[in-house]
Amino acid sequence: MMNTHSAARLQVKDLVKAFDTPDGSLPVLDHISFSLNAGEIVTIVGASGSGKTTLLRMIAGLDTPDSGQLLLNGNAITKPGPDRAMIFQQFGLMPWLNVRDNVNFGMHVLGLSDEERQARTADAIERVGLKGFETFLPKNLSGGMQQRVGIARALAVRPDVLLCDEPFAAVDAMTRQVMQTDLLNIVTAQGTTALLVTHDIEEALFLGDRVLVFSSRPARLIHEFQVPVPKPRQHEVRTTAQFQDLRGQVWSLLQNQARELI
Amino acid sequence: MVFVAKSGSGVDMISAKAKARQTAKRNELLLSLVIFLALMLAWESAGRMGYVNTFFFSWPSAIGAQCWKLLVSGALWSNLLVTAYAYCIGVFVAVIAGSILGLAMGWWKTFGSIVDPYVVFFSAMPRIALYPLLLMIFGINDLSRIVIVIIGVIFPVIFNAYMGAKQTPRLLIDAANVFGYSSNQLFLHVIFPASLPYLIAGVRTGVTLGMIMVVVAEFFGGSSGLGQNIAQTAQLYKTAELYAWVLYTSLFALILVKGADMFERWAMRWT
Repeated sequence: MMNTHSAARLQVKDLVKAFDTPDGSLPVLDHISFSLNAGEIVTIVGASGSGKTTLLRMIAGLDTPDSGQLLLNGNAITKPGPDRAMIFQQFGLMPWLNVRDNVNFGMHVLGLSDEERQARTADAIERVGLKGFETFLPKNLSGGMQQRVGIARALAVRPDVLLCDEPFAAVDAMTRQVMQTDLLNIVTAQGTTALLVTHDIEEALFLGDRVLVFSSRPARLIHEFQVPVPKPRQHEVRTTAQFQDLRGQVWSLLQNQARELI
Repeated sequence: MVFVAKSGSGVDMISAKAKARQTAKRNELLLSLVIFLALMLAWESAGRMGYVNTFFFSWPSAIGAQCWKLLVSGALWSNLLVTAYAYCIGVFVAVIAGSILGLAMGWWKTFGSIVDPYVVFFSAMPRIALYPLLLMIFGINDLSRIVIVIIGVIFPVIFNAYMGAKQTPRLLIDAANVFGYSSNQLFLHVIFPASLPYLIAGVRTGVTLGMIMVVVAEFFGGSSGLGQNIAQTAQLYKTAELYAWVLYTSLFALILVKGADMFERWAMRWT
């Protein structure tokens, strides 16, 4: 296993979380444990409402677990910090800032020099293919382009772990496929460690070195798949027999979950 | 010219469309001007032929003559200055203080919910009703007028700033938090800009309300100011001059509203 020959970047140990509701305590995450190695892309796939977003929010430091441990480079996560960055489903761009300033937004607390910041912004904008759009406001960009800004903003802080919360759920199907390829290339090129949650099986397999399958209500880690498809991956790998076989295996695990939720 | 448009090209068609729009707009303008002149003519002739009581309704040429007289004699400017003084100070103070208070209410939730009922109460009340009390306290002077303008303007500003700060999308706050923003940075870089559309709408309401406040306050006494002249000319039955003062007052209010609109559009380019 890969886990053995490099120190874990992120460790999630026995994580438990429940929400208080008027009808009592609703368990969301049930003893979740896994780890991420440096440079690895791990995807979590599960039905909607499986607590995937809650897990990401806890890793980001926006929410606290009821019990269990979250370790980043061996240190407990207690609050948000620029060592983690998040890509949001609904982008989360500041509508009053243009593309350049939105990319800058994440680096505020890093204490970088102006030159360094400008260099990183220019680099990130170039990587996501938005060169020439620096002065555009979010309202003048398509959904896909807005998410590119979100990706650039997250990459510019050079996070130890990049957290992606259903990053392409809000863009149209065709844009989604192009952006999946682009995200994979960008993240791989920068050597970023990433954890991505999605309910799209194909997306999870296409982007992940490993895929964690979560059950729903409460979320349990029910299976882990290695995706032995070498990178860089192109769109065409989706049609290979190996990929389709994996897809079938994940689906067979998830379809019962999905049926229960209907 | 580097750029040559061939006839029937896309560029030509666009400019033809723009031209058609321009012509339509000019025709509309012309039509409303004609209607306006017709109305004025009807009023003028009705006044002169005795169909309307000119004691109450005067007629356009007499009002126009009064407008001109006020303009050239300098009476307009000296009175405008008096009104503008109380108005500007009042609006300025109300906007600054109201913004700070309203944003603070949105920021410190406990403070917000404690102060909220008072804001609702004072927002609903006809605040000019407090003016006689202010006269008792401060007397007939600039101070009492400044204070009533502040009281008039500050509540819509507070209310809107509060709403603006409260409605800041959770997502934007999360985004700032993820990147480790301190609460001061969060306020400066997210809550404040996100509140601006609401805040400016409050200021826009305040600009109009402040004008009403200062003019009505001037009715109560004093020796000059737009409102005082309206009250005086009415008491002396100088109808034409009364209309002239009302007209000028409205004109200034219009300029203020248009100015506020332009400011709003400029500040809200990103929405």
